[in-house]
Amino acid sequence: MADRSRGGTVAVPERPGAYPVRERPDKGPGVRVRRAVPAAVRAVSGVARKSAAIVLLLAVWEVLPRIGVVDPVFLTPFSEVVVAWGGLVAGGELLDHVQASLLRSLAGFGLAIAGAIPLGLLIGWYRPVADFLGPVLELFRNTAALALLPVFVLILGLGETSKIAIILYACAWPILLNTIAGVRGVDPLLVKSARSMGLTPLRLFQKVILPAAVPTVFTGIRLAGAYSILVLVAAEMVGAKAGLGYLINYAQFNFRIPDMYAGILTISVLGLLFNLLLLRLERHFSTWRTT
Amino acid sequence: MSGQPKIALRGVSKVFDVRGEGEPFTAIHGVDLDVREGEFLTLVGPSGCGKSTLLDLIAGLTTATAGEILLDGAPITGPGLDRGIVFQQYALFPWRTALANIEFGLEAKGVPRRERAEAARRYLDLVGLNGFGGRYPHELSGGMRQRVAIARSLAFDPDVLLMDEPFAALDAQTRESLQEELLRIWEQTNKTIVFITHGIDEAVYLGRRVAVMTSRPGRVKEIVTVDFASREGDLRAGPRFGEYRHHIWTLLRDEVAAAQADERKVVGSHG
Repeated sequence: MADRSRGGTVAVPERPGAYPVRERPDKGPGVRVRRAVPAAVRAVSGVARKSAAIVLLLAVWEVLPRIGVVDPVFLTPFSEVVVAWGGLVAGGELLDHVQASLLRSLAGFGLAIAGAIPLGLLIGWYRPVADFLGPVLELFRNTAALALLPVFVLILGLGETSKIAIILYACAWPILLNTIAGVRGVDPLLVKSARSMGLTPLRLFQKVILPAAVPTVFTGIRLAGAYSILVLVAAEMVGAKAGLGYLINYAQFNFRIPDMYAGILTISVLGLLFNLLLLRLERHFSTWRTT
Repeated sequence: MSGQPKIALRGVSKVFDVRGEGEPFTAIHGVDLDVREGEFLTLVGPSGCGKSTLLDLIAGLTTATAGEILLDGAPITGPGLDRGIVFQQYALFPWRTALANIEFGLEAKGVPRRERAEAARRYLDLVGLNGFGGRYPHELSGGMRQRVAIARSLAFDPDVLLMDEPFAALDAQTRESLQEELLRIWEQTNKTIVFITHGIDEAVYLGRRVAVMTSRPGRVKEIVTVDFASREGDLRAGPRFGEYRHHIWTLLRDEVAAAQADERKVVGSHG
């Protein structure tokens, strides 16, 4: 038992391994340049510090079921979950589920971007549109997306359409609201300055409003990315035949508990990676932001 | 110096409707002012006297409630590239580098890309920022940002430069060096400059004429012609400078007192 639990901690470094990626964007680029050699030492200690909580969590996950504090049938030790995960990968089953999930997520997310950004620009720029749509927006934004899932299923059926639609719906809000805020939040002095140079409203929009709003819009996109994964799972628990949400639900139904945890773990990692990717993109497009 | 003034204000008034208050707000009332071609005119007045409103009117960003504003004898109908503005808070586009900021007005003017880049570089040199073209505004000091803003306004070659307390946010040393540079640029480019300030020293140092405004509603109280026999050496320490300074200070003292009394009255009636 003792060496089994050590086996658990041996598997640990593969997760903290992903952490330096996250650490870098947290500190500004200037911090790294200052002192090269101590920076390396600090980076290592930083990784250790940041991964300590994760290591601890996994250790608790491993130990509690093993010493009988929690029923190991319901909380499979972490090492066994990793083994189950390996089995799902080897069998090709996991890849199918991940593919099905990603397809839905990205479709809903992509459509939300395509629809919500233009709409947000319109609402942010034209007062009358904002006044007209404001109350409706206020009503819907305060309605949880998942509360509407049954409605989506009723109207659009149990197939892909309703699943993509609910993801689209959930993703559209942060993008829409941030785009509106981005357009409204443009420094009036910049607008005044551009106007003094005789820019037409269209050119003003293109040359000032749009670039000024980009960072705020991106914050919305990043939030939407997280939502796309969060809502996905719930959507896939209803009437799906593939996908990570289906895997989790199905595994639980059939008492394949380690598989269930493997599915949950995959979702977490997927969400994490997606967020990292979007964070990278966001930073790339907002280098000029002074914060 | 005879002939048609570059900018002419005839009985210009501006009244704002204040939301939630019955009484409209009169910012300036009956302003008459001529600015000559190629002149450096400074405008001083107590805070809240409508100096910035006056500048917005000349820029064409707002319209006068009464009176007329002429540029080369023709009424001003809106903003245009024949006038450039330099703001106190720089108003640089933070997503553009120094050079790209300077190019902004040229883009609006429809100048081809290559010419634009060339002109931007030339004006960057003119304001002494050679080598900083690739920097973003947040990577520049306040003084450098204001230099970029001045270069941006000069680059599209306006006849008139309107400056709204451009050096007020800078430290004393940076301000003095920029004042000197502005005079040098003015002599090199022959622009007509209208420069708003609340600093008497700055007004006397820069302006060939100083227009002193009354407290709100603002009018032009007096125009002081500043004439030094020589501008060599430490101009600010000379007796002539002191005389001009004192004269304008005296003109302003009553106005500042009136402005403060007015403010107290407003605060009192609301409290």
